Amino acid sequence: MKAYDEVKDRLQKQFQEIEWIPESGINPEALEARCAELTHALTDCSKALIKAKTFEMIAYESRIAIDKDDLFQDKLFDGNLMKKQRSTWEKEITGRYLRDETEDAKRAWDRYGSYQSIGDYGHTSPNSELLLKLGFSGLLKRAEMYSKRSGLTEKQKEYYESLRIVLESMIHVAERLSDAIEPYHEENARALSHIAKGAPETLYEAMQLLVLYFFLHEYVAGTRVRTLGRLDVLLTPFYKKDLEEGRYTEQEIREMFRFFLNKFWSAKVPYDLPFCLGGMDDDGQDVTNELSSLIVEVYDGMNIYSPKIHIRVSEKTPRDFVKKVLSCVRHGHSSFVFVNDRIAIKSLENAGIPERDARHYVPIGCYEPAVWGREIGCTGNGGVNLAKAVELVFTNGRDSLSGDLIGVETGVIRNYREFVDAVKTQIAFLTDRAVTHIIHVEHYYGDINPDPILSCQYDRSVETGVDVYEGGAEYNNSSLYFYAIATLTDSMIAVKKLVFERKMVSFRELGEILKNNWVGREDVRTAAKMLPEKYGNNEPEADAIAVEMSEYAAGLILGKPNGRGGVFKPALFSIDFCFPLGEKTMATPDGRKRGEPLSKNLSAVTGMDRKGITALVDSVTKIDFTKFPTGSVLDVLIHPSAVSGEDGLDAFYGLLITYFQKGGFAMHGNVFSSEELKKAQENPEQYRNLQVRVCGWNAYFVDLSRKEQDSFIKQAENNEG
Amino acid sequence: MISSKTMIARIFEIKRFAVHDGPGIRTTVFFKGCLLRCVWCHNPEGLKTDPELAFYEGRCVSCGKCVSECPEKAHIMKRGRHVFLKDRCVSCGICERTCPQQALRLYGREMSLSEVMEVLMEDRDFYENTGGGVTLSGGECLLQIEFVSALLHELKKSGIHTAIDTCGCVPKAYFEQILNDTDLFLYDIKAISEACHRHCTGVSNKLILENLNVLDRSGKDIEIRVPYVPGFNDGEMLRIAEYLQGLTHLKGIRILPYHDFARSKYRALQMNDTLPQKRPDEDETRAVEKMFETFGLPILS
Repeated sequence: MKAYDEVKDRLQKQFQEIEWIPESGINPEALEARCAELTHALTDCSKALIKAKTFEMIAYESRIAIDKDDLFQDKLFDGNLMKKQRSTWEKEITGRYLRDETEDAKRAWDRYGSYQSIGDYGHTSPNSELLLKLGFSGLLKRAEMYSKRSGLTEKQKEYYESLRIVLESMIHVAERLSDAIEPYHEENARALSHIAKGAPETLYEAMQLLVLYFFLHEYVAGTRVRTLGRLDVLLTPFYKKDLEEGRYTEQEIREMFRFFLNKFWSAKVPYDLPFCLGGMDDDGQDVTNELSSLIVEVYDGMNIYSPKIHIRVSEKTPRDFVKKVLSCVRHGHSSFVFVNDRIAIKSLENAGIPERDARHYVPIGCYEPAVWGREIGCTGNGGVNLAKAVELVFTNGRDSLSGDLIGVETGVIRNYREFVDAVKTQIAFLTDRAVTHIIHVEHYYGDINPDPILSCQYDRSVETGVDVYEGGAEYNNSSLYFYAIATLTDSMIAVKKLVFERKMVSFRELGEILKNNWVGREDVRTAAKMLPEKYGNNEPEADAIAVEMSEYAAGLILGKPNGRGGVFKPALFSIDFCFPLGEKTMATPDGRKRGEPLSKNLSAVTGMDRKGITALVDSVTKIDFTKFPTGSVLDVLIHPSAVSGEDGLDAFYGLLITYFQKGGFAMHGNVFSSEELKKAQENPEQYRNLQVRVCGWNAYFVDLSRKEQDSFIKQAENNEG
Repeated sequence: MISSKTMIARIFEIKRFAVHDGPGIRTTVFFKGCLLRCVWCHNPEGLKTDPELAFYEGRCVSCGKCVSECPEKAHIMKRGRHVFLKDRCVSCGICERTCPQQALRLYGREMSLSEVMEVLMEDRDFYENTGGGVTLSGGECLLQIEFVSALLHELKKSGIHTAIDTCGCVPKAYFEQILNDTDLFLYDIKAISEACHRHCTGVSNKLILENLNVLDRSGKDIEIRVPYVPGFNDGEMLRIAEYLQGLTHLKGIRILPYHDFARSKYRALQMNDTLPQKRPDEDETRAVEKMFETFGLPILS
């Protein structure tokens, strides 16, 4: 077996240059024809069954590929057929039942930038714990057992049939890959053959199973798998057993992890594939161990940024472990996010999830906690642009460019209280539009995206015979984000101060100024920008607005029923939508011009956190994040000198822990100077490897748009004073 | 006697999340005014006792807002460009508030004890979690001894760790006055030889070394800070190491390699830029640290 370092360059291209084995299956054209034929023949069956049979056809008839230098095999040609299948179904269903609503929602997002509402079939946290415990065959036995009950409806029978088909298909793929790799890599062949027959018994088999399952589900079946799960929890039993029985040395295990992590890195999974380390178990005990550290060390040595790693932190998480990760962030490996167990768990409880189950959460996607293997979290249903709500008060509910009525006619505003009420009215209206649309789409999830591969791992789904996308999971929740809390807060305090207290301009005048994008009224804009009361500076008056408005927004939907038997879980972060939404939001009273970005996540408006990171933390943590169970995050950008040396690392740790003690939800960080970022902007070729944390994922700085780069530089400059 | 709450100090900056001015996360208060004139000074805005306005020309867009607001006509427009006439400036600070570009900055404002305390208490949770606290620096903070001693007393009453960053060039009695309320002294040593010290800082080091010995005998924790400025005090490093061997309460020694980040501040303050050109590289600094270590001295880095 070749060492990872010898083959990594080639392996990292493995998904771009795949050599499908011609004699292993039919060619792509034939495959597509078979798929069309199959879909036609099955018109009367349930979508779940059509999906399962399509998967089966690909698993049995399509070509495979192997790589003799790799430790893990995973490749089955799919021609994107199942992704196309789902988008066809989605178009068909929404076109038939939800045409007007879909168009409304599309306009709201694409043209007005007011709210987003979409069906979310892409935030799953498969029950990989159960997968490793039972293996494909154990899951199959379990499904078959439940399918033999009497009194099943036709639909339930088809559900169980779909489970049987997909599980047998996955077993078959494992066997095919095993046969193909056997002449080159006997141990890999044995592992594949073993996981085709039963549950994995060694660390190597467990990893091969995770890899194979992931690629079949994400790449072939086209489901976005948004976490591998809690990797240390998952693999520790195997790791300990292998070490005890002398099967592998620690060095060999490290090498295995290099191949394992490289697999996902090479696949360039969109938005990066996460896994989680650390945190408490269901009984509240800390799970962090030597394997958690080993994984961080291996990852740090590889200079990759995907997979990304969620670090769960509880009061019991060892200080040294957190510092080890912070040290990675400090030297530029920023693909980590820290999530606060205490607040995440409490927030899930606020969404009606009992404590024990809540402790079982895993962050999916960016930061969003969902009960691992028991919840279909749908944490990407869309959100509401809070800055737009301010705009709509000034325009009496109309889009500033087109004049279309897209909000509520809140009329004349005479005092600050009326203004606050009007902003709330607009937020409530936009929220209601988004939520209503989401609920309607959710009624059709079963016809758009049934998922037998996921369902077979969910206890309650298998017990009841209901697909997880039709409400078959233990928890079937939805989400809605609120974007740009800082732009909202700074805008409201500016109106309070300049219009109603200092009477520098009237409310009407300010409206005109904003519509004219501040032209000719730089004086008012300067006054707005230079107000001392800004969110992010521990200024009580500004922060009180952030608290009031966030509480109001969360209260609109937290725990309210969705369309699948679950509830809505609000979130308070913006992802990178702060850029496109900025394009669609007119000038705001905080001094922002049309087109400038809105505030990002929980950050202050760029450059407005004048008192530094501690004051920002004080401001932010006044918000009650237990009311936002789909999460929130504070981005910190720190100058390298502030966290250099051992005392700097201690301070970085102190910053994180204090943020969490004060009630923060999640934090991630970049450690850069503006000088370094500017050099990277000017000489991209010399800074190819400079990675930055963008939102819930990383990117190479040089690949960002100029606007995003500038925003990072501006933030760094502000830090430096 | 004035009540301590209404006491006033001249302060030019309060820096939060300071992590290299003593243990843990700290807030550092920079007091204005210093007796030394170190050629490498990186806080030139802290030298004079009086407030002064700095003009960062690079940020200025010549919008003219300050020109119309300035009661002293210290800001004028010349061929469409903003020019700042420092002689006319009385440091009232009006222009700082009107400048949309933050090109004007007033260094030094009067703050009462309760105002300062209010800011310092904001990060209390951070201090407690990291064993941090408050550091008083400057300029030379001890020149405002009454305020400083009252402030330290208040901080200790609130259970907050206190540190003093000092050049040591103040009367011995000042140290005695604050000894009980100070947990850690960050003490600068720049040179041992009188001639070199005078050359680099403009003053004798006699008092400085005497005070250091007094402090050492008091049993307080001391961290020595040695600016390392090639071409100026590199010849002193060996002497400093020898001298420090004789002390008993050293918590550690930090070598501070000289940098010239302050150059823009000199320009903005229209001060004569005395900053040396040569910056030591990492290897040179490491070599100096090693030399201290061979003397058995605890180097912090």
